[in-house]
Amino acid sequence: MTSRIPRRLLAVCVLVVALVVLPVVVTIVQALQGGVSAATSALEATSARTLLVHTVLVTVAATPICGVIGVAGAWFVERTRLPWRRAFAVLLVAPLTIPAFVTSYAWASVGSVFQGFFGAVAVIGFTYYPIVFLLVAVALRGLDPALEETAQSLGLSSRGVFFRVVLPQLRPALLGGLLLVALDALVELDAFVALKFQTFSSDIYAQYRLGFSASGAAALSFFSIVLCLVLLFGEARLRGNANYTRVSQGARRTVTRYRLGLASVPVLAFLVGVLAVSVCIPVGMLIKWFTESSAAGRSTAASNLTYLWPATYTSVGFGVASALLAVLLALPVAILAVRHRGPAVTALERAVYLSFALPDLVAAVALAYFASHWVRSLYGSAFLLILAEAILFLPFAVVAMRATLGQIEPVLEDSARSLGAGALSTLLRVTAPLARPGLVAAGVLVFAFALGDLSTARVLLPLNLYTLGTQFQTYSSSVAFAAAAPFAAALLGLAAVAAYLLMSRFGEVRGLGKESSS
Amino acid sequence: MSDLRCEGVAKSYGGRVVLSGVDLAVPEGTLTAILGASGSGKTTLLRIVIGFLPLDHGRVAVGGTVLADAGRVHIAPDKRLIGYVAQEGALFPHLTVAENVAFGLPRAQRRAGARVLEMLDLVGLDRGYARGRPHELSGGEQRRVALARALAPGPRVVLLDEPFSGLDAALRAETREAVQQALAGEDTTAVLVTHDQAEALSMGREVAVLRGGRLVQTAEPAVLYRDPVDLELARFVGEAVVVPGYSRDGVVDCELGTSLPVRGRLLQGSVQVLIRPEQIRLSQVDGVAAEVVGSSYRGADKMLRLVLRDPAGTRISARTFDDDLPANGETVRVEVAGSVAVFSEEER
Repeated sequence: MTSRIPRRLLAVCVLVVALVVLPVVVTIVQALQGGVSAATSALEATSARTLLVHTVLVTVAATPICGVIGVAGAWFVERTRLPWRRAFAVLLVAPLTIPAFVTSYAWASVGSVFQGFFGAVAVIGFTYYPIVFLLVAVALRGLDPALEETAQSLGLSSRGVFFRVVLPQLRPALLGGLLLVALDALVELDAFVALKFQTFSSDIYAQYRLGFSASGAAALSFFSIVLCLVLLFGEARLRGNANYTRVSQGARRTVTRYRLGLASVPVLAFLVGVLAVSVCIPVGMLIKWFTESSAAGRSTAASNLTYLWPATYTSVGFGVASALLAVLLALPVAILAVRHRGPAVTALERAVYLSFALPDLVAAVALAYFASHWVRSLYGSAFLLILAEAILFLPFAVVAMRATLGQIEPVLEDSARSLGAGALSTLLRVTAPLARPGLVAAGVLVFAFALGDLSTARVLLPLNLYTLGTQFQTYSSSVAFAAAAPFAAALLGLAAVAAYLLMSRFGEVRGLGKESSS
Repeated sequence: MSDLRCEGVAKSYGGRVVLSGVDLAVPEGTLTAILGASGSGKTTLLRIVIGFLPLDHGRVAVGGTVLADAGRVHIAPDKRLIGYVAQEGALFPHLTVAENVAFGLPRAQRRAGARVLEMLDLVGLDRGYARGRPHELSGGEQRRVALARALAPGPRVVLLDEPFSGLDAALRAETREAVQQALAGEDTTAVLVTHDQAEALSMGREVAVLRGGRLVQTAEPAVLYRDPVDLELARFVGEAVVVPGYSRDGVVDCELGTSLPVRGRLLQGSVQVLIRPEQIRLSQVDGVAAEVVGSSYRGADKMLRLVLRDPAGTRISARTFDDDLPANGETVRVEVAGSVAVFSEEER
């Protein structure tokens, strides 16, 4: 039973979507300004077909890896009596919060195994599976145990229960997670640079660096816009009418956890293997860099420590600011998507994903172009970078909030309204407090991505500032690994905190309490 | 407190009519129960009155103030001063019991806490619960807190949506009593929505029966039970024995007896006769012979299933309070006590 969509909510959501679509529109205008001939010549100059094939192949190969690791990991952590599963849960989320460029530099330094296509697939597969993991874990916690018990009583084995009862119910969460992964893979750039793998994004990057042919780069972006739209419509068709993480309401029932017995050994081996690739290599690299730096004399590392504090300060500042802004922008969209139905709702909610239509770099250039032409006061300001990062990572914030908001019973908001609380007052006194873990998770997610953001910072960072990421990149690209080490250490430390917060807050509702983990 | 009036309320979803022409008047300080099966539109009506749904036609007014008038007026739910007790209470899990009860009070009163204690007393809850959390309470206690929360701001009308669902029988009776007392204590105008006929008949000053989106009858419980407007309603509000008969001059003849007095509408000719099972008494000497084909023990009362010795083999039920029930296959004699209601033959 859906009531009318409040006009104010609708208006706010339209504004948010307008912000998201702004870079796309600016880019299209830029591309057309260069004239059709300039655009076509840019497309001809680059081996467009190879790039297209590269991009699509990476996406197609990496997405299933995320699906398998994400679903398997979530199942083992949530539904088995696996030892140390709490620790595993945090560690399994960590790859998402470790900046992708740190991971890819670490892999590149391990050897050529991880370079090229294989490395590109691996970096997407092993750093983005936690999105699937988090969403599926929430869905698993919300499943009605009675369904599995009934299936068992009808004679299904535990394998049969998983494939015929559990997996179909996870479909909306799984598809939602895979969509995010695929969209992100399309426009990933930072991770691919170190791995020397060419996709549209990296070619666009080259276009900007070489001749700063804005229109040529913009023309190339048409491809990513089209691919993004194809994915969005494809997922919508696959998903059909299934609801997202709309799970059981009220008090959480205790779920049955399966005893793994001897099967624990291969399962532990699988999880440790995943973590070895995704977490141990970056951490191991860091340790190696530190030991090398002490061997080569402390001077290089020590001289850089003067930059460490300002860089950390700037990174955390930008991260927190864009996280807060993203939470503010995402909340109305998430509420609209969870509480209302209809074509307008679907269109607005989907439109937020258009922030994936452009590689971050292109979006940043578009915003800079927009500011320099129409809002001079914004040009070169810190706020523009904050805005760009909030917009670019908005879909993650929306998804994180939906996972929590979907579990808050609408009747609680109805009760508040009947007690005289207005719409805004209900949001502040009931919805937001209950959704606090979800808001924190959304903010932490955006914070982590902002920390791992290089492309946008490259274009929009105010001139006199530097971040942990830019410092790391400066030194590591000039093979001054010892000098890069302290910045990598700070990034990994922040990533660990983010991973812990993310795991403990994602998809939780305040007051319902965690299920007793026995 | 004020009276509640719904006039010609109608609502459709995508071409499906959910409510049509609903006229309801709840006098000030009384409780009206809206009784309906699932899908009858009772929840929709309730949501329209609170203001969660706009109506297509008609209007809703409380104490003379129009709250909703199709296409013209739609006061927001938070401005209507209508209390709402949702199914299973819907207490805010992040707040304590006291904070829940104080939720609808003005800021200054929220702090003071006097009203909260007053409300806990009203619904018969120990003041010690005030600092507890909703999940520490039993189902019945949660419903009481929900009522206290709804009553605290002094609403003009309180709507209760199946407030006793999911409670076991003993707790249900106890909670029902506490709610009744609290509502009476505040002289509250209230509407209770339920699918349980016993609950509706026992709690409502008046009972309004909603069927297929229409109010078929609004009457005091006794009138509804004894003189329902049609046979479907008769069966809905309680168990019914319906047999064919021939009516003339205020009496009716049927298989179960001759010259039975008719109450309510008087029809002439062939009719259907409504008899409640408790009117059918076992008799040692007089009456119609019937064979016992089954019996169910229900505690205080027992229900006997009987087949009459007539060519049609009419099946009837009799409610009895006797402790020794006749065995299956035994023949008993039955007669009808009191007056009966008659309906035209076309009704089913």
